[in-house]
Amino acid sequence: MSVLDIWLGILQGFRVTASVTLYGLLFAIPFGLVFGVAQYLITGPARLLVTGIIEFWRSSAVIILLFVFYYALPVIGLMFSAMTVSAMVLGLNIGGYASQAVRAGLQSLDRGQKEAGQALGLSRPTILLLIELPQALVTMSPTFINQIIQLVKATSLVSLVTLTDMTFRAKEISQIEYDPVPIYLSLLLAYFVVCYPIALLGRQVESRVGPAREISGGL
Amino acid sequence: MGFDIDFALSTLPTILSAIGMTLLVAAVSCVGAAAIGFGFEITRRSGGVMGYAVRFLIDFIRATPVLVWLYCLYFILPFYGVRLSALAVGIIGLSVYFSGYLSEVFKAGIDAIPRGQAEAARALGLGRMDMTVFVIAPQMLRNIAAPMGNYFVSILKATPYLAVLAVPEMLGRAFDIASETYRYAEPLTVAGLIFLGLALIISQAIKRLESRLLRPMRR
Repeated sequence: MSVLDIWLGILQGFRVTASVTLYGLLFAIPFGLVFGVAQYLITGPARLLVTGIIEFWRSSAVIILLFVFYYALPVIGLMFSAMTVSAMVLGLNIGGYASQAVRAGLQSLDRGQKEAGQALGLSRPTILLLIELPQALVTMSPTFINQIIQLVKATSLVSLVTLTDMTFRAKEISQIEYDPVPIYLSLLLAYFVVCYPIALLGRQVESRVGPAREISGGL
Repeated sequence: MGFDIDFALSTLPTILSAIGMTLLVAAVSCVGAAAIGFGFEITRRSGGVMGYAVRFLIDFIRATPVLVWLYCLYFILPFYGVRLSALAVGIIGLSVYFSGYLSEVFKAGIDAIPRGQAEAARALGLGRMDMTVFVIAPQMLRNIAAPMGNYFVSILKATPYLAVLAVPEMLGRAFDIASETYRYAEPLTVAGLIFLGLALIISQAIKRLESRLLRPMRR
């Protein structure tokens, strides 16, 4: 089997890798925004609940979360496709990290921003939507880009719940053709080809808005 | 069928018995990742061709999934006659993967040391080695303690990846029970909760440590 065949084989899994990533973002972005803002605005006992939900998604080991939801949801009568479960688990895990970036971005703003809005007679939601969030999201954009990379990398886990992504294809090829060296090195390179441009984009953005803050711990 | 709490509790002792293995893997991998990461950072700082090579290697590691690194080492090393246990491969894999992140921690830790320290060391006639060991490293340690702790938690949360190599850590034990009893939801949920508890406890301990370490800095 030539290296070209290997690459074509791995490429067949790219659609699933990309789908899980995009589908996952559909969970990650709303979760990160809503919970980040909630943690910033809410005080008192309700905040504990918000923090609890964030910590559940953020502090759990994502590989176990995936297995738990894949095997446990059907037991309690909830049937979802492997794709939906994967996108939800990986998305909400990254969303948990993103929520911390949203909150940190909002907290880092100068108090004067909010006070100026109040002095102009703007309502609290208007201040949040038009003054605070735009600035916070721009400041934290390098961090969000890093988190997209983490999400792409995490999609390799879906190969463990029967989805035919790039990792699954590579394993499949190596079972037919015992030639692990080019197959797994190609797989490593395939992820690099997908993620490195995103990393370069992140650096470009970073040079304009300031450095990314490390909120996700590498996974 | 439903979720059987009694059965879940009955799996607890078996899964917990592997907690030592999980902590051992995490601790050894953390030391390994720190050693490689520090080596990377020192090489990157010294510049030259090696510096650029290491810079690219760090980018490469950060753009590729840990699961694929584990597969790569597990399947490729034996091909070249390197026969290691799954445990050793797993620890090497986690060490390599996280070294890419820890090198950034070391970079930030060293950058935070005032320039005058290195200049003074040079003025005193210390060599590169002496300067690194006696002047830079001790000051760096205080700067990196908290981020290192956070990465220890990340590494801990990555140890269940070793279950795919059949290392008998907590997730592996949970799967053993699952395949014996054909009940997946309960043992996996128990393993997930143990990891969540561990991660939260250690994160709290790190926050305490951080505030204690930084106290003498705030004068």
